[in-house]
Amino acid sequence: MKLLIVEDQARTGQYLRQGLNEAGFATELASDGETGQFLALSGDHDLLILDVMLPGRDGWQILQAVRQAGRDTPVLFLTARDAVEDRVHGLELGADDYLVKPFAFSELLARVRSLLRRGASPSQDTSLSLADLRLDLIRRRAERAGSRIDLTAKEFSLLELLLRRQGEVLPKSLIASQVWDMNFDSDTNVIEVAIRRLRLKIDDPHPNKLIHTVRGMGYVLEERPA
Amino acid sequence: MRRVSLGSRLALLFAACTAAVSLGAGLLFNRASEQHFIELDQQLLASRLSLLRTQLAGIHTAEALKARLPALREVLSHQADLGMRISGADGTPWFTSRSGLPPAVLPTGLGTQHAQGADYRSLTAPLAPGSHASPQLALYLDITHHQHFLQGMQRLIWLTVGLSALVTALLGAWAARSGLRPLRQIGQVAAGVSARSLTTRLPVAQMPEELAELASTMNAMLQRLDDAFQRLSAFSADIAHELRTPLSNLLTHTQVTLTRPRSLEEYREALHGNLEELQWMAQMINDMLFLAKADHGLLVPGQAPLALHEEVDALLEYYAPLAEDGDVQMLREGEAMLHGDRHMLRRALSNLLDNALRFTPAGGQIRVALAAGPSISVANTGVAIEPAALPRLFDRFYRVDPARRQGSSEHAGLGLAITQSIVQAHGGSIRAECSQGWTRFVIAFTEGQ
Repeated sequence: MKLLIVEDQARTGQYLRQGLNEAGFATELASDGETGQFLALSGDHDLLILDVMLPGRDGWQILQAVRQAGRDTPVLFLTARDAVEDRVHGLELGADDYLVKPFAFSELLARVRSLLRRGASPSQDTSLSLADLRLDLIRRRAERAGSRIDLTAKEFSLLELLLRRQGEVLPKSLIASQVWDMNFDSDTNVIEVAIRRLRLKIDDPHPNKLIHTVRGMGYVLEERPA
Repeated sequence: MRRVSLGSRLALLFAACTAAVSLGAGLLFNRASEQHFIELDQQLLASRLSLLRTQLAGIHTAEALKARLPALREVLSHQADLGMRISGADGTPWFTSRSGLPPAVLPTGLGTQHAQGADYRSLTAPLAPGSHASPQLALYLDITHHQHFLQGMQRLIWLTVGLSALVTALLGAWAARSGLRPLRQIGQVAAGVSARSLTTRLPVAQMPEELAELASTMNAMLQRLDDAFQRLSAFSADIAHELRTPLSNLLTHTQVTLTRPRSLEEYREALHGNLEELQWMAQMINDMLFLAKADHGLLVPGQAPLALHEEVDALLEYYAPLAEDGDVQMLREGEAMLHGDRHMLRRALSNLLDNALRFTPAGGQIRVALAAGPSISVANTGVAIEPAALPRLFDRFYRVDPARRQGSSEHAGLGLAITQSIVQAHGGSIRAECSQGWTRFVIAFTEGQ
């Protein structure tokens, strides 16, 4: 997966690049609009991350040029401004997502993964599993090590999300948005409590823990060597 | 169109009015005097006529007249301004008292005539009334001096009109100028308004009645500006203050960490600590930007039809784990519909629920009541809030207990302010009340949303 970052703030660009590289993506970085547009039109990127305010050409102009060239590469906008018109303008031009600074890197990473996955054909899975945890999506049943686990509807959705995106750190805001459709940042600890309750059912009876807290970032479902 | 000053307009208007009134009065007076003169002349002529009729009674021929002429001239000599002409019934002139008289007016009656630079009032009548064959007598009264008087008066009228117009224009300009002085005062106050002088007020009591309303409107505007400015200043000061604490934590923590080499675990711990402070700051900045957007009227809610009971149920489900943890019972009563923005309303209600959960003791209850209107009330049991503090709950950074310091898990005190701005963006209002062990937040939207 190859990403293009167009960001004129040297530090921001550098940090983003490092973070995305370490998350397993190949990245290119352009620090002005002209270079960014040239790279966007000549390269074969899977995703473009564009800052709106750029010297030379702004993010919107690059997006327009890319769309006019007939490319439907997903575009994620980063902006320090959060005016409604900006958001609408960006989405009208064909931006796929929009992040307002300050944002958490975990949030950016989750969004990038969502956008990259969007291109892929939707999964037809009838069941999801990790280690001895198994989720039957048709009968809406969960079991671990062969024994059935009773889950509420939301707990099931939460576990399904964690399983679908196993290995990825999911920020609390993303979980709230995907499972409960709560699309706002809130400093409530509802998600912590919900995860704790899920852990109680999934992990507590077993020595091999699957749900892990990544401090300050979010939660991840993965198998870790004991 | 050229702009004419209010003072000039008023002065011109006054002048025009005075001119019109004095012109009207003058014309009326002129006409009345003219009428009066005519009446006087008529009376004079009529008395002369009856005198002459007596004197000339029985005359039917020119010859007969000639015999009476000396006596007639005697009579006429006493009356210098009176002329006369006598003619036969067939119109042949028998006698003319002087030259230059205008021809007789036919057949009878009073008239005004002009001949050879003189004006005459004439009266023509038969010498013997009732007889067809009577000679005609025409009397002429020289009224040139009357006419001169009337012309003189007309000139006087025009002069008066002109002068009074001029004088009232000048007086009007002066009066308008002094009358409009309060307006200039208002202008001066308005010109002097700046962020520093928002406390200036116009003296309403000294204003004329017509301007008192304008002045008090302006004072009210200044008051609102002052309030808004004070709030903004306080908000800015609060922002600086609220950011100062986490920033100082970050600085201290980072510098202390860097003072000597540490273990990997310690560095990781330091970064985590910093991360928490930073996340808290980011959240607060985002909240403040949201409020700033609301302040600028940039919060434009969608207008989708929403079943509020479904939204509330979704939120109650979301908060259910937290409520169960705290042994708090949550329930919803009633149903209501509203046109609005789903995400924003969820955020607004979630802040209320979050707040309620925070202050409801174990074993307590949270009731969300929906009613047509629509109105939403979120009530929770718990310690009563002081009545004085209730309206202040929606102030930014307001905390019931000021001593409580916000940690990374604590609230910045912006949640209720955000709820209020969302409600207001939907054209609704929110208030807090406290009674009988319940703290209640009531949102009322206006009918016909």
